[in-house]
Amino acid sequence: MLKMHNIRKSYRTDTIETHALRDFSLQVNEGEFVSVTGPSGSGKTTFLNIAGLLETPTGGQYLLDGEDVSSLNDRDRSRLRNEKIGFIFQGFNLIPDLNLFDNIDVPLRYRGFNAKERKKRIEKVLEQVGLSARAKHLPAQLSGGQQQRVAIARALAGEPRFLLADEPTGNLDSLMARQVMELLEFINEWGTTIVMVTHDPDLARRAHRNIQIVDGQVSDLQHGTIGAAREIA
Amino acid sequence: MFELKPMLSALWRNKISALLIAVQLALTLAIVSNATVIVQDRLEKMARPTGIAVSDIISVTFMPVPVNYDMAGAVAADLELLRNMPGVVDATVTNQIPLSGSGSASTYFTEPNQEIGGENANYYQTDEHFIDTLGLNLVAGRNFTRADFDVIGPNDTYEPRVAIITQKFADVMFPGEDAVGKYFYSGGDGEPREIIGVVERHLGAWPSWSKAGQVAFYPLLVTGNHKRYLIRTEPGQRDTVYKQIEEKLAERDPQRVIHLDTLSKRMAQSYISDNVMVKVLSAVMTLLTFIVALGIIGLTIFWINQRNKQIGVRRALGATRANISRYFLVENTLIAGAGLAIGMAAAQVINHFMVNQFSQPVLSIPTLLVCALILLGVSVTAALVPAIRAANISPAMATRSV
Ligand SMILES: Nc1ncnc2c1ncn2[C@@H]1O[C@H](COP(=O)(O)OP(=O)(O)OP(=O)(O)O)[C@@H](O)[C@H]1O
Ligand SMILES: [Mg+2]
Repeated sequence: MLKMHNIRKSYRTDTIETHALRDFSLQVNEGEFVSVTGPSGSGKTTFLNIAGLLETPTGGQYLLDGEDVSSLNDRDRSRLRNEKIGFIFQGFNLIPDLNLFDNIDVPLRYRGFNAKERKKRIEKVLEQVGLSARAKHLPAQLSGGQQQRVAIARALAGEPRFLLADEPTGNLDSLMARQVMELLEFINEWGTTIVMVTHDPDLARRAHRNIQIVDGQVSDLQHGTIGAAREIA
Repeated sequence: MFELKPMLSALWRNKISALLIAVQLALTLAIVSNATVIVQDRLEKMARPTGIAVSDIISVTFMPVPVNYDMAGAVAADLELLRNMPGVVDATVTNQIPLSGSGSASTYFTEPNQEIGGENANYYQTDEHFIDTLGLNLVAGRNFTRADFDVIGPNDTYEPRVAIITQKFADVMFPGEDAVGKYFYSGGDGEPREIIGVVERHLGAWPSWSKAGQVAFYPLLVTGNHKRYLIRTEPGQRDTVYKQIEEKLAERDPQRVIHLDTLSKRMAQSYISDNVMVKVLSAVMTLLTFIVALGIIGLTIFWINQRNKQIGVRRALGATRANISRYFLVENTLIAGAGLAIGMAAAQVINHFMVNQFSQPVLSIPTLLVCALILLGVSVTAALVPAIRAANISPAMATRSV
């Protein structure tokens, strides 16, 4: 599903060059639920951004679904993001001026679905996250946990094969975090590959596999050890 | 692909700033379109054909110093001298300079002893050289001859026997008829004047007069304390001849004060208020358009900065660069469209007032539409650069910024 080989990413400002990722190699298989942990500034978000085609690596090779995506233009990258990848952010990132229905509609419009198809999908995912009754509400009228569920619904509406979550529970209390985690597990059971960055060791342990990033690299010590028992055969 | 409905609901939540720009555009359109009709009207007025070879004509005004001056003799000698100068086409004597803003007018009637219902016309006392000198076009009848020409003193009572009039004056005096051979009368004294010729056009002394172009000419020299000549030069010779005229006239008779002008300059002076009006209004229109463009640039940049994160999120969710630019351009067009629609109504209300209170010209729908389209173009252009810049906001903004 996802295969990274010797990925490098460095940020250059006027004075300093930061190597956010170096010799970063990783493979995630179809249907996996991988959690990513690591100290702050170690490169977790950078990895997720490259995996989700939000940023391009400085070097190395990245195959998504067997396709080398490093050479794609902006248009094709946008299309891949839209069709194959769903994003869940720590800060929910709902568009504050749009009600829930219209928020979930955003990626579907970029996809070019007709109004009927969009409505069908929006109603379905709203039902899945248990917020059908709030379709006309604005994000600000919802609790954090509810907002994150809407964000998950928005990510799911396009039926992505690959879900990327950057600390999806970081802004939530433990009860809401558990609800969101359960939702993600449920989604994964239906076949969606999930990569989730988290600081919460309990949540990290619930994934099939945990990888730890230290200093821009996958830490060898941790690789493939946590949760190995739950890995799909 | 257009996200009109969600875009409108997002706009509704930012309605104050949207409204400000819409209102600014509305006011700009209302003012600009009304200024446009005034400018158009003034430009048209200034571009009206005068019927006169303005750019080749020099005017001379002179005042003799001696008390008992032989004016008739001086005029004859001066004209003889002027007509024989190289580069001069013809010269004529006149009581007033056309297009200069000063002249004489009288009320004329088609019946003797008539006292109401007359028509006004500007009139000139000149000689048989006026048609050639002014470059007028005689469309009917004949020119004056020397035999028609009379010389009288300033205090003599005298009635001219013949006249040449402009087509415009002929049309108001004798609508649908051939004016040549007809008689007309000045005031209640009943002495008939025969129309012997009609010239196509002569705008007269006052270009802004509502009766401008209604002109009569008489073959007459009234000896007074000053006289005027008009001299027509070969094309392109005016400025050369100008210097020589001053010298030659002074040389022939130094006992007088002579003042020269070009007819172009005199005409420009009488159009000066129109000219100033055009310039001021054009400046106001440019300034208003510039301000509204700045407002739009400012607001678009403000909104884009405010929605940095949202743009990143949209990009992450699959928006292409083009989707992002288009979003802001369409949003801008919606606001501008609403503002301009209000502006069109306001423009017509203001114009109605201007027409009634200040008798300004009527604002036509096509003019209004063209103004609105231009402002729409300005608005889209102003939004273009910020909108294109917005497309460069990185999708990583979705995960990076707080
Ligand atoms: N746009 C950027 N310009 C410069 N440096 C950057 C940029 N983005 C990230 N970095 C740097 O790259 C390194 C990795 O950052 P990254 O956001 O991937 O860390 P992280 O593991 O997600 O941290 P956290 O747990 O705090 O979210 C950090 O040193 C960070 O300062
Ligand atoms: Mg991070």
